[in-house]
Amino acid sequence: MTKRLISTLLLSLGLLLGSASAWAEGPELPAAGNNLRDQASLQRGAHLFFNYCVGCHSLKYMRYSRIAQDLNLSEKDVMQNLNFTGAKFDDPVISHMPAELATKAFGKDPPDLSLEVSAKGADWVYAYLNSFYLDPKSPIGWNNTILPNAAMPFPLWELQGEQTAVMGKDGHAVEKLELSHPGTMTPAQYQQATRDLVNFLDYVSEPAALQRRHYGVWVILFLALFTFLAYLLKKEYWKDVH
Amino acid sequence: MANEVVDHGRRRFLTATTAVVGGVGVVAAAVPFIKSWEPSARAKAAGAPVTQSLKKVESGQQLIVAWRSLPVFIVNRTPAQLAALPKQDPRLVDPKSNGSSADQQPKYAQNETRSIKPEWLVMIGICTHLGCVPNYVGEMKPEPFDPDWQGGYYCPCHHSRYDMAGRVYQGVPAPKNMQIPPYHYVDDTTVQIGVDPKGAA
Amino acid sequence: MANAFVRWFDERAPGMAPMYRKHMTEYYAPKNFNLWYYFGSLAILVLVNQIVTGIFLTMNYDPSAAGAFDSVQYIMRDVEWGWLIRYMHTTGASLFFVVVFLHMFRGIMYGSFKKPRELVWVLGMLIFLVLMAEAFMGYVLPWGNMSFWGAKVIVSLFGTIPVIGGHLVEWIMGDFLPADSTLNRFFALHVIALPLVLLLLVVLHLAALHEVGSNNPDGVDVKHGPKGNRWDALKPADGIPFHPYYTLKDLVGVGVFLIVAAFIIFFAPTFGGWFLEHDNSIAANNLLTPAQIKPVWYFTAFYAIVRMVPSFAGTAVWGVIAMFGSIAVLFALPWIDVGPVKSIRYRGTGYKVGLTVFVIAFLSLMLIGTDLTDVLFPKLFGADIDLTTWDNVFGRIMTLAYFGFFVFLWLYTHLGWEKTKPVPERVTTHD
Repeated sequence: MTKRLISTLLLSLGLLLGSASAWAEGPELPAAGNNLRDQASLQRGAHLFFNYCVGCHSLKYMRYSRIAQDLNLSEKDVMQNLNFTGAKFDDPVISHMPAELATKAFGKDPPDLSLEVSAKGADWVYAYLNSFYLDPKSPIGWNNTILPNAAMPFPLWELQGEQTAVMGKDGHAVEKLELSHPGTMTPAQYQQATRDLVNFLDYVSEPAALQRRHYGVWVILFLALFTFLAYLLKKEYWKDVH
Repeated sequence: MANEVVDHGRRRFLTATTAVVGGVGVVAAAVPFIKSWEPSARAKAAGAPVTQSLKKVESGQQLIVAWRSLPVFIVNRTPAQLAALPKQDPRLVDPKSNGSSADQQPKYAQNETRSIKPEWLVMIGICTHLGCVPNYVGEMKPEPFDPDWQGGYYCPCHHSRYDMAGRVYQGVPAPKNMQIPPYHYVDDTTVQIGVDPKGAA
Repeated sequence: MANAFVRWFDERAPGMAPMYRKHMTEYYAPKNFNLWYYFGSLAILVLVNQIVTGIFLTMNYDPSAAGAFDSVQYIMRDVEWGWLIRYMHTTGASLFFVVVFLHMFRGIMYGSFKKPRELVWVLGMLIFLVLMAEAFMGYVLPWGNMSFWGAKVIVSLFGTIPVIGGHLVEWIMGDFLPADSTLNRFFALHVIALPLVLLLLVVLHLAALHEVGSNNPDGVDVKHGPKGNRWDALKPADGIPFHPYYTLKDLVGVGVFLIVAAFIIFFAPTFGGWFLEHDNSIAANNLLTPAQIKPVWYFTAFYAIVRMVPSFAGTAVWGVIAMFGSIAVLFALPWIDVGPVKSIRYRGTGYKVGLTVFVIAFLSLMLIGTDLTDVLFPKLFGADIDLTTWDNVFGRIMTLAYFGFFVFLWLYTHLGWEKTKPVPERVTTHD
């Protein structure tokens, strides 16, 4: 009976985790496929962020110095190639765009992106960056299939080119996006670039993630040793019990 | 029932081994908690080097800047104040800063003026007695606390006295000369506090 | 040297050594504890973890609406090892409930709440109640958007109380929405008041237990069985000293548990969004309700009951009554289930079926509360089903099953329907 109950419990737990899409409901997204251990990808992503995003978006919980340390970049490198706002090396990444100006231009404040991947998921951000299309009906000229009526005009259009929507039969839903005007990157290059950018934002949302896996291995190995010893000790003493 | 032989040696060995490994684990687990009291990245950022221009500091004047939340005195010493320094030596606890005050300054400031350039004193303005901020009393005239005053610092808390190089006088509670922070000249008229000069360890 | 110190100490605190003997070396516990008996000591371990990590979190946390969210990120990024301390606390919170649920289930399954251990059970239930309040308030502190709306919804439960409800909600929050004052009082309760109550209750829970002695998987009362074991001629024959035998056994349990906990802390601290929810990475926003507002997983079974009871006679209070009732009914278990046989091993088939149904009902309510049924049902029964109806029908059946278990148990044991198997004189198994 006990065994059966345990297996029932384990089964339910498996069920719970198996279907553990705790993300908000929505269409299933393709995997971003980013890898935090790929330092070159993180560095490329950082360059993309500081060239195309930081004009409007801050990373207010992220210091330049921490980025340098974690991404293995020199202070000089960061201050010359990433920091265009004149902030100090130890300062957090704050966009230079004044809030009033942004609100005037986009109708809302561009959100801080420090925790974007924690909140939305890497897959979502990746899909979002690949789903902009030209929309004459939109006041900003752009729309997005992942976030309809997004307030942001597509900042990477030079890289990806211009996509246009192919409407479904009912004329309302977007069936697919087609590249109508190529950009400076091939589609494969652009996907890799957005993967790098997502990878960087994933790192930014939890810088400790780089360390914790490293420590985790040793902690678990140590605990396994301790548990093994405790087990031998328990076995030895329990010889008394008949 | 109780007839079996208990292997006491094995028990002792396993108990000791488990206790040692468990003890190591507890100590290791305590490390992150102890380390969490170290200055955080924010505190360190606030404690980053401070750059200060000297252009507007007149001869005989003192400027106070904050570095790591500490008051740093920057004084443009007059020729008279500088000339008075060697004369104070007999009355000081450690005039050469090589005795009890050997650790109170970087090597490059371990000299008579306790500075890189003689006229510019850069010093952490914290009394070495109990941590008050001494007053700058620059004028060379008789003072109630010293009829032969040659300029220096007077601590309001317990009346410790220092000369114009922050060297402590004998017979006061403070034990050591005031501390000189690491600093260097970015150019002729700019100092950066918190960073040693190039080449100095 | 050591002996001299022990003597010196003993002369000045003569009560300590007897107390140590009473609760450790001369506390005779049944020798047949199985896997289910690890969770009590593990609960103490988690409690200690929560207190230690919690104290260190308060050192850098800012309990203000303006600063709370930022201060959590400060802990995660700027404080050395802050991320580890926080993840130990958040993982500990969820594992606390895993351990306590299993501990409570053990008590139900082996009849540990029955005479003479009713007081142990009631004190344990009080611990559970305080733990839920503690967890809820701790959940509010990071002041993310789920914290904010969780606080709003849970506090609003009290608003369903007729007449005083509306004002009661404002009184609890100290404002018209969860605000600075709410955060401040929840912080005070979370870090001082409730932990003190919790500690006191744990001491009482253990004191009450050690007075009557532990139950065991056979439900045999070893205290009243034959006497004489290898340590003491007058003590229960089936008892073994808690120390060293169960301290060492529990140490192995602690090791295994810590491996599981370490795996979560270091490799999956959000646990796929179950232990730390994605929407809580967005700062509290009183103008934007998260797309899916649902409680953290350990509350979902109880919370689902609220949703399953329709409003009636112009008030929604029935669902709230049902939810609190689902916890209150557990308090009364010793007087609902009065069957003379304790352990499930020797109880009637009706009991075994009933308990299985109860477990299924509880887990199903959890599934509904987490909205997982919205994912599962279309997969199982086709994409075009009417989810609301399915959810409601399924949930109401499971709510009835949850309460039905207790009704059945009362009838089953009070009316003498149960056909039990003979209970052995001595405990049957041990390792």
